[in-house]
Amino acid sequence: MKKFENFVHNILKSKVKKTLVIVLTAVAFFASLMMFPTKLVLAKMLPGKSDNTYSIYVDTPTASSIEETKKVTSCITNILTKEKYVKNMSIFYGQGIPLDYAGLVKGASMKRTENVAEISVNLTDKHTRKEPSFLMTQRLRPIIDKECGHIISGSTIKLVEQPSGPPTLASIVVEVQGDNIKQSRELSVEVANILSNTKGLVDIDVMADDIYDTYKLIPNIDKVARSGLAIKQINNILYLAFEGMVIATKNSENHSDQIPIFLILSDKTKRLSDSSQDAIRSKLTSLNLMNQRGMMVPLSEVVDIKKVKSEPMIMHKDLKRMINVIAETDMVSQVYPLLDAREKMIEHFSKNYTVEKAGFSTYMFDLYLTDKQTGEKFLLRWDGEMKVTLDTFRDLGAAFIAALVLIFFLLVIYYKSFSISGIILIGSFLSLIGVIVGHWVADLITEQTFFLTATSLIGFIALMGISSRNSLLLIDFAMSLMSEHGMEKKEAIAVSAATRAKPIMLTAVAIILGSALLASDPIFGGLGVALISGTVAAVFVSLLFVPVLMDNAKAVNGGQFEDTLIDQEHPNDISITR
Amino acid sequence: MGHKKPYEVKDVAGKLAVGFLRNPLTAVLGIVLLALGWIALSTMPREEDPQIAISGGAVIVAMPGATPGEVENIIVKPLEKKLREVKGIEHIYGMSMDNVGIVNVMYYIGENREDSNLKLYDKVMQNMDEMPKGVMQPLIKPFDIDIDVPIITLAMYKKEGALLSTTDFTEKVKKLQHEINAIDNVAKTTLRGNHKEQYNIEVDMGKLSAYHLSMGQIMMAVQSLAANVPNVKGRTQDNKLTIFGIANAIESVEDVKNVMVANYMGSPIYLRDVAKVTNGIDIQNFKDVGLIARADNNITNPFNKEIPQVTLTVAKLAGTNAVFVAKDVEEVLKEHEEEFEKEGIGYIVTRDYGERANEAVNELMHHLVITIIIIALMLVFALGWRESIIVTFTVPAILAITLFIAYVSGQTMNRITLFAFLLSLGLLVDAAIIVIENIHRHLHAHDAEDKDMDEILVQATDEVGGPTNIATLAIIMTMVPMAFVGGMMGSFMKPIPLNVPVALFASLAVAYIFTPYLSLKLLKKPKHKHNHKEEEKEKDKGKS
Repeated sequence: MKKFENFVHNILKSKVKKTLVIVLTAVAFFASLMMFPTKLVLAKMLPGKSDNTYSIYVDTPTASSIEETKKVTSCITNILTKEKYVKNMSIFYGQGIPLDYAGLVKGASMKRTENVAEISVNLTDKHTRKEPSFLMTQRLRPIIDKECGHIISGSTIKLVEQPSGPPTLASIVVEVQGDNIKQSRELSVEVANILSNTKGLVDIDVMADDIYDTYKLIPNIDKVARSGLAIKQINNILYLAFEGMVIATKNSENHSDQIPIFLILSDKTKRLSDSSQDAIRSKLTSLNLMNQRGMMVPLSEVVDIKKVKSEPMIMHKDLKRMINVIAETDMVSQVYPLLDAREKMIEHFSKNYTVEKAGFSTYMFDLYLTDKQTGEKFLLRWDGEMKVTLDTFRDLGAAFIAALVLIFFLLVIYYKSFSISGIILIGSFLSLIGVIVGHWVADLITEQTFFLTATSLIGFIALMGISSRNSLLLIDFAMSLMSEHGMEKKEAIAVSAATRAKPIMLTAVAIILGSALLASDPIFGGLGVALISGTVAAVFVSLLFVPVLMDNAKAVNGGQFEDTLIDQEHPNDISITR
Repeated sequence: MGHKKPYEVKDVAGKLAVGFLRNPLTAVLGIVLLALGWIALSTMPREEDPQIAISGGAVIVAMPGATPGEVENIIVKPLEKKLREVKGIEHIYGMSMDNVGIVNVMYYIGENREDSNLKLYDKVMQNMDEMPKGVMQPLIKPFDIDIDVPIITLAMYKKEGALLSTTDFTEKVKKLQHEINAIDNVAKTTLRGNHKEQYNIEVDMGKLSAYHLSMGQIMMAVQSLAANVPNVKGRTQDNKLTIFGIANAIESVEDVKNVMVANYMGSPIYLRDVAKVTNGIDIQNFKDVGLIARADNNITNPFNKEIPQVTLTVAKLAGTNAVFVAKDVEEVLKEHEEEFEKEGIGYIVTRDYGERANEAVNELMHHLVITIIIIALMLVFALGWRESIIVTFTVPAILAITLFIAYVSGQTMNRITLFAFLLSLGLLVDAAIIVIENIHRHLHAHDAEDKDMDEILVQATDEVGGPTNIATLAIIMTMVPMAFVGGMMGSFMKPIPLNVPVALFASLAVAYIFTPYLSLKLLKKPKHKHNHKEEEKEKDKGKS
């Protein structure tokens, strides 16, 4: 330990060496910060976790029949039966799978039409399986899309993973808000096209009904009245004939339910030859209604048939009309495709619209569009996981600043000195170098991208406390050496650095070992890496950098703690805290 | 430091050390703490993900025959405006479709669920007088994440060659559902893909026009026979009651077939003449559920063809142990094994959150134990095995306190709680390490021989007390603001700010109380002065 003591003492004695330490630290700090803009380290809220299950959502165009939907699902299950890790599959037609975390916000429980189906796929246990579920879905997605996407044109197939954190509607959600429904629909299709041309985005879907042909039977009021019928009767019979109705029930002692008696036209006779106007007319001709006088009137006599377009569902969010366009990310962070797509959108829409960007908030990616000709306004709002991420990072950032302020005040109360508190804060803030570099190294080592995640941030916040403890013990010891033993300042700092090195090392090793198992976890990996690499950085900072600062600060002396302003000689070091 | 006068205790650390150093109750306290931790560990409700208080609901208003545009204007817009008045709603989603309008509300995360549901109901009911004409009674359906997210799903299916009819099969599943519902803490069970028994009358349109009949006539004919009425009481001359009543006209599907629909040219026409009448299942229900599994459910076997299944879902009550509920369900299934075998009913568990929760918790517990062992080994090399034992003891004690407090405050054990423990693990040995290191240093100091063991321990503890308190407080302060992170994520990671500060406080207390106490029992003053060389070696080891 004597060696280390001399080493520190040597640095403290020479002004050049001291400056060198400070400069090196500053360089390391800014170099590590530069890793964000240069995309050496990528940020994401939470990484994917390997699970034993995933689901597949199938949506065929709005007016598709269950038989058509079944064609798509059986194509998908055919592909999946060739997978060796698939244990079993349950296919839910016309409904969502039993509610799970993902389905909670994706509206799975609202599904009740013939054009939807969900498949829940169970895999073998993740510990014995080589391929994590998120890689499996990534691999299968293009295959399924190629084989089954075109069976019913316009259908979308989504592979949905269980979220590792709180569930969101989708990774990327673009809300197209605007009063003009027709134009909003066009905009949303353009948005969807841009998204699908963006690298890293998959499962793009415009969440709006498709417009399809329908036929309206317009009752001829004159004829209805003359033939002694009522419109209500026509409605009922039509419904009874083609949809069927429970017309009575039978109570039973042997069954847990009443037995309904269901009336409908037989499948063979109610089938239309094709979906043309003539086919409907000829079918309606043979469907008779009985009027009040007991005479039979064919339905086709009293109604006119007209072909119209279906009216799609109108969606509101917070009282404004909107259409959602959603996309999932394919093993990448949603930040970078989002920025790409947004650039493209600005370029694309500026032809026909004036595009305004939103101000600084968690909706900061929003785009305001104004039609150059009509002056109608539209808003492209980015929601989904991105919004949650921004909200979370904002809140964590605020929590972090609050933590800084709290620690600072705590230290000021304890030491009665701003400069000592400042030194400790700078020291603990510098562990960020380790965190960022650690993520870069982890990314180099691992096969998949290793993201800086929300858990990394939590780890960093915790690190602040840990490294401030190192500096605290160091300063405390040095000061007591000076006051009780009357040691000279530089020597006292060197001795205390050398003596405290052992417990600092020990606690650091404890943290590193304690986090080692975390680092391999897909979700808490960020935290593990942050703690390990941050602690390494913190040890260096508190044993080399902090002593230098201590030596420079006047407040560190043997006497009583004084209120001394931060050392005027080295304003550079202090600026780091800001 | 080394003066003859007794050491003056300055810090809480020293006071605690003095108070517990020679106290016989200290050992008892240690045992009690560990016991409490054990109780908490084995009975605390386990789940995979923490509960997030998502509250919200849907108001569904039907208006037959209205187009989306009409629904938007008549139902959705006024309803949205009214619901906007409710406090605590974050987003309102309106959907206007043909015939029906749905308004979904999402409350801010963390809003009280019961209050939210009540507020929603209240708002709609208060404005019932403003409901437009021709609109049906609104349905209000609150979301309930705990009750709605099933923890277990079972795929029940008929095995190949089973003689059971679909409706009998459904009856069996329903019986099972009933039994599962009786299990403690089971909240809601549902069936998916089940088919009800139904008498189907499929009318042949050609015959209908041949006999000059309309659908309306058939409906009336059936309805006129399908009435159920209660018995009547008749009185006899001598005032006795005689009960008589009309038997149900329709007792079986045969009765339906024989319903007379009309007279045609003097001869009666029966329903069977114009329609196919069957005792079948609800054919209008397209919500089937299919199952594709491997033969014998063995991963090496090829897949079977798709067969229909009935999915039985089981949800649990909030705050109860998913593991226990899953185990109880398993037991009920086991009881039925023989019966199922005989009837040809098979089942596969397609979702088991109980197992997943248990797995997640056990895996993290495993990590905890390994980590503790690694740290203990590290300390053996750095400080010596006695010191290592002392520090290693403090870890379970601290975790036990934290776990017990979490249990008492109504938290559940989930991924994030354990994550909080893992996170604090690196931090909470620190206090003990710092204390033990200082004790170690004092014991090996030059003046150790002149001093009383008690005094050394107290002084060593007290000396590092101040900075350790401040440093630990600093870490706690970094964690506290995290409790104010809002939204889904904030609520998701709430166990961290809730548990880490508790663990850190506990680590301080344990370090000050038990470290000197155990040092007194286990550590001895070295007989001879330690030479510096050896000490240095140890330090170098710790460094590497």
